[in-house]
Amino acid sequence: MSSGKQRERQMLESFYSMIALVFILVTCIELCDAATVVDVYRLIQYDISGAPLGSRFATLNHHAGSLHLPPGVDLSRTVVIIPIHELNITLVKEFIAQRKPLGGLLFLLPQMLNFENRDPTSESKYQIHEKKLIKNVLVELERLLIHANIPYPVYFAFEDDDIDAVLADVKRNDASGQPATATTGSYKLVVSGPEPKRIASPTITNIQGWLPGLKADGDQNQLPTIAIVASYDTFGTAPALSVGSDSNGSGIVALLEIARLFSLLYSNPKTRGRYNLLFGLTSGGPYNYNGTHKWLRSFDQRLRESIDYAICLNSIGSWDNKLWIHVSKPPENAFIKQIFEGFSTVAEELGIEVGLKHKKINISNPRVAWEHEQFSRLRVTAATLTELSAPPELLERTGGLSDSRHFVNEDAIVRSIKLVAESIARHVYGYQGKNIQIFADDTSLAVNAPYIRSWLDILSQTPRVAPFLSKNDPFVMALKKELQAHTHEVIVQHEVLDEMFTIYDLTKAKLNIYQVASVTFDLLLLLVLGSYLIILFTFLVITTRGLDDLISLFRRPPSRKVKAV
Amino acid sequence: MTLFHFFNCAILTFGPHAVYYSATPLSEYDTLGTSVKAALVYLGTALVKLVCLATFLKVSENDSFDPYQELLHAVIGFIDVAGLYFALTQLTHRNISQNHKFQAVGLGWAFADSVLHRLAPLWVGSRGLEFTWDYILQGLEANANLVLSISLAALGSLMWLRKNKPKTLIPIIYACAGIVATMPSITRFEYSFFISCVMPKGHLQPLPYVGGYQKSERLDTSYLGRGLGWHFPKVVGFELFTSLMMAFISWQLFSACQRSSS
Repeated sequence: MSSGKQRERQMLESFYSMIALVFILVTCIELCDAATVVDVYRLIQYDISGAPLGSRFATLNHHAGSLHLPPGVDLSRTVVIIPIHELNITLVKEFIAQRKPLGGLLFLLPQMLNFENRDPTSESKYQIHEKKLIKNVLVELERLLIHANIPYPVYFAFEDDDIDAVLADVKRNDASGQPATATTGSYKLVVSGPEPKRIASPTITNIQGWLPGLKADGDQNQLPTIAIVASYDTFGTAPALSVGSDSNGSGIVALLEIARLFSLLYSNPKTRGRYNLLFGLTSGGPYNYNGTHKWLRSFDQRLRESIDYAICLNSIGSWDNKLWIHVSKPPENAFIKQIFEGFSTVAEELGIEVGLKHKKINISNPRVAWEHEQFSRLRVTAATLTELSAPPELLERTGGLSDSRHFVNEDAIVRSIKLVAESIARHVYGYQGKNIQIFADDTSLAVNAPYIRSWLDILSQTPRVAPFLSKNDPFVMALKKELQAHTHEVIVQHEVLDEMFTIYDLTKAKLNIYQVASVTFDLLLLLVLGSYLIILFTFLVITTRGLDDLISLFRRPPSRKVKAV
Repeated sequence: MTLFHFFNCAILTFGPHAVYYSATPLSEYDTLGTSVKAALVYLGTALVKLVCLATFLKVSENDSFDPYQELLHAVIGFIDVAGLYFALTQLTHRNISQNHKFQAVGLGWAFADSVLHRLAPLWVGSRGLEFTWDYILQGLEANANLVLSISLAALGSLMWLRKNKPKTLIPIIYACAGIVATMPSITRFEYSFFISCVMPKGHLQPLPYVGGYQKSERLDTSYLGRGLGWHFPKVVGFELFTSLMMAFISWQLFSACQRSSS
């Protein structure tokens, strides 16, 4: 008796495990065979002092629509696909300002901006004025999206054949106003994944390199120092695409080249100047130069006092013939006059125009528009060399979508480097006013254009939004190594970003595009199949059993009643 | 909605078998046991065929058309016939007439074929969001297969179970049986012929109505699952047409033999 029960129990157990296995199998086999899978990049999601900004969601599961939809249609379950070259900025402003409920937005960027694209012909498709148009449109779009709080997912993708075909189909459907059928494609866009989370304690890393000057024997005093600083991180609408070739890729490249030139001079004691040189690659630039602030605070008092002046480099890659020096001390100040005269003399020789702009700093205002202001707050003389004539707003000109390699001019960077290097060298060696070219072309101290080009190319392929760069990020390590090659002491300082800024993760995703059939199609198919099976049934009954049998199948109940009576 | 599609394709693929069973006198005579036995014999045959294919066939690197390989495929196809012979003659059936025996065996054979070759792709593939015509075409193919199996079983029963056949009809019977047996190889031949001659080497053409079909993956155990849907409807149409033709011919032969014996 018990053995029988035991066997029964064993059978039940094995039966249950079989069922469990089948369930697991069922749930696991969820093959995602989409018509197209596209790499998409999410709009940034961040908070400033708790105020939410950017796109607050990441997952997407809605039908695709285009701008050709009739107005007044409910879009809360539609993802609107907008290619940039057809962008109507007022329409997008309306969507956002009126807080219209949308399922999502997908912007299609021209392939030219894709830094992972190895195809050189993609750029040549556009004329210069078209490129400028695209750049302007992108700048406006970025300004709009960054400062808005958007309660649905916003993604960027690059145009390619697949997605163009999908968009053409969607447009055709929308224009004709017909409900989508199975063959003419109603498309469903799906991005699946976890919800975005805050990045806790984002690190910003400052890298400094030190070139010591020549101390005369018996000289106990600290040598004066000249600092050259550039911030290397970016911030843009799509953090995975924020490569910032001009802001501030040009600055980084210039700093590295200047370091290289001076390391050549300082390697020989006979040509070593009586000034120390401090090179600083700071992070946290877009966030009111938070990194520079923390870096300066970490300085020894003596070091800070020994700094004669600091030159900050910011966006020197796309100017034609005018550069600006921005200062916060009044222009009548003796130090400022000396610096500006030195730069002007060299600029004249090089055929560049240099202008001076003064902006007072307001210590109570947390907004820091230029990097030199962080120095000025600690009473160190500093100036920013840049192509911009006016200070940028918060989170503007920080290397967004429109800042691509195509809009940067290497020649401009070369000339800027010559300007800065000559001016500093003349100050260091005491050659002010004398017509001597230290870094002349075709000498061993000439500015190395291929070096600049290769570094600019690397920078234009590396997105550098600070919270997404970990402590040991390969790019940061590469910068450190490069600075180590040119300077003596390299110190890497890790800090935590100011709490005012909170950034959320999930910058890249894969978009699945499915072509789905409508419900009516399925019902129609069911109807057709049902009628087919019924016809088959009647045909078989008639041919094998005869027509009478078929009729008798339907007549049975009434005949019984007749019999009962 | 996707399960709905799966349900539709499932009733297209397996519905006719159930309808056939219930509509014809098979259900009255309770021939389910025969069908089940025939299905098991089919499974055994499929296993033997798989082993033979694995042993004798070389995997070609390019999609070229190799007549030797196709011939080998055809020969292995005759194992099907051997299996059917076994199911018809060697198994013990309850006392059912000739008429119903071949129908039951053919039905069981076709049902096992559908389940083995089409259930897995259907379950895995048609539940996804993406819509393709594949599974509907596969269902139509299953219907054609049902008709072909029953006609092959009919011809088989004529060949092996009927002792007195009119002399004139014997060669026709054997010829038709041969054609029906090699039908799978013919369809495969047509398919690979299209691949090698019509399409340029290694080039997948974009498909007009099945959006991006070439990118999707199909778990398909049958030789027809090569992922080139452009010719699939043509092949299915050809199969349906020939299956109806062969069914008609074998029905005529069967009734002719019936007439002559009675």
